[in-house]
Amino acid sequence: MAAVTDQMASGMPAVRRTPKGTFDLVFRNASFLAALFVLVLLAGIIAAMVAGGWPAFREFGFGFLTSSVWDTQNEQYGAFPAIVGTLSTALIALVVGVPLSLGIAVFLTQLAPPWFKRPVSTAIELLAAVPSIIYGMWGLFVFVPLFAAYVQIPLSNIVEGMPIVGTILYSRSPSGLGILTAGIILAFMIIPFIASITRDMLEQIPSVLRESAYGIGATTWEVVRYVLVPQAGVSIIGAVMLGLGRALGETMAVTFVVGNANRLSASVMDPGSTIASRIANEFNEALGLQLHALIALGCILFFVTFVVLVIARILVARVKSF
Amino acid sequence: MLSTLELSPQVLDAQAPIRIAVKNLDFYYGEHKALKNVNLSFRDRHVTALIGPSGCGKSTLLRIFNRIYSLYPEQRATGEVLLDGRNVISNDVDVNELRSRIGMVFQKPTPFPMSIYDNVAFGIRLYEKPPKSELDDRVEGALRRSALWDEVKDKLKSSGMGLSGGQQQRLCIARTIAQKPEVILFDEPTSALDPISTGKIEDLLEQLKSDFTIVIVTHNMQQAARVSQYTAFMYLGEVVEFDATNTIFMNPNKKQTQDYVTGRFG
Repeated sequence: MAAVTDQMASGMPAVRRTPKGTFDLVFRNASFLAALFVLVLLAGIIAAMVAGGWPAFREFGFGFLTSSVWDTQNEQYGAFPAIVGTLSTALIALVVGVPLSLGIAVFLTQLAPPWFKRPVSTAIELLAAVPSIIYGMWGLFVFVPLFAAYVQIPLSNIVEGMPIVGTILYSRSPSGLGILTAGIILAFMIIPFIASITRDMLEQIPSVLRESAYGIGATTWEVVRYVLVPQAGVSIIGAVMLGLGRALGETMAVTFVVGNANRLSASVMDPGSTIASRIANEFNEALGLQLHALIALGCILFFVTFVVLVIARILVARVKSF
Repeated sequence: MLSTLELSPQVLDAQAPIRIAVKNLDFYYGEHKALKNVNLSFRDRHVTALIGPSGCGKSTLLRIFNRIYSLYPEQRATGEVLLDGRNVISNDVDVNELRSRIGMVFQKPTPFPMSIYDNVAFGIRLYEKPPKSELDDRVEGALRRSALWDEVKDKLKSSGMGLSGGQQQRLCIARTIAQKPEVILFDEPTSALDPISTGKIEDLLEQLKSDFTIVIVTHNMQQAARVSQYTAFMYLGEVVEFDATNTIFMNPNKKQTQDYVTGRFG
């Protein structure tokens, strides 16, 4: 040991390359600019949206948010039906999609035999990659007629005249199109995301935790409900929020099946519209104040999505701190 | 080596009833035979240690007693594991009920994502619905017995995940004993802990054996010598020698055992 140390000490000092200061400087500045680009881009989009929508906000004031009129002849515009449509379709998508997604993830990670697990996992990955226009087409040509014939018509006959339920579920023109249909199609679209993220999170939980929960005599339901899902809690909320973000902004598939009605109906079976579908439908021919109103709608969607993101962050921080 | 071993006071009660009797037990991971014709008996209110090199099957054996292996469809056991005369590996056993009678503490602490109180109460609530005051008493009793009460009594409502590793392991022990099992299985319970925490767990084992039948798997031979009254030495899926811990460490019958406990192989 001593000999080695001596040799090292008496040897020539290592010849070191002088660091090339210029390259490092360029590299630092380049990566800084790349990061700055994100901020500039975001600021640019916000500025353009606000500037473009400003004439509509100025014209209608706060009433733009609460008015239900959308009249291109008289240049009167209100965002209320589209906002309600956006929020209600997204809510329906979550109510339908989240339990299904959790069920898929739990089954795949805890219960599925290996021969069944592989094909279902692959199918989920594939579904996540299907472009939204495919969901829209399938929704319009396949799901909508079936939904009209087997759900809307029978259900309308049952609930007709009932208080509350009759208002929410009665369909005046059972075409299959409507808010509920859009919500269900959206649910199909967000299920692959939520299910695959949740599955990954459940799979990352060490098997020893699962074994110890089974080890004190808990049933599969108790293990999943009280140990595994809370353990993956933060990530599951994150996955749900990602799905919600997609549901709020989804355009193509919703435009196909939502019915694109400008008036607001109390029934989820009736056609409606969302912010994104309204913009997609009218952007081509919009001029003047109508165009400004559409951009203002875009502004609102932007804001709603932003709020959802903030709420998600707060929720995640809350759960983490426990 | 042998002289440095500090053997536990050997109060062997040869009259103690046999709690678990293992007869002609074979175990398979798929095609691989991991246990070969194991025959052992575990006495009531004694600590029995399972020692042997990695992969010898000692943890596998432990995981048979509470049927944890049943979670994995490719694993199966044949033979008999009699708990009070009932074969626990037969298909008609209610595994959840069995697991509430045979507690297990794992290699790594596994607190559940809930408060300290709920962690301990969890196992009780699965099978009993005691009134609040009785539940409180049982939780406190279990935490006291696992020497954790003084450290957590002011923060029972805070998360079990916030405790140190050694505290978490004692929390898992509290959770296990709160259920009042008959047998407790320890699968290398101190391998992830520092020496001080290890010492506390070993002291606990000494206390717990007055009420429970304890089986402990350990890599640490000093630990086996310190805490157990009986020791089984396993190698390549077979039990090489099973005897009183004193005999295994001081005067083993087989040369293989002698070599292992003196550190010549393993």
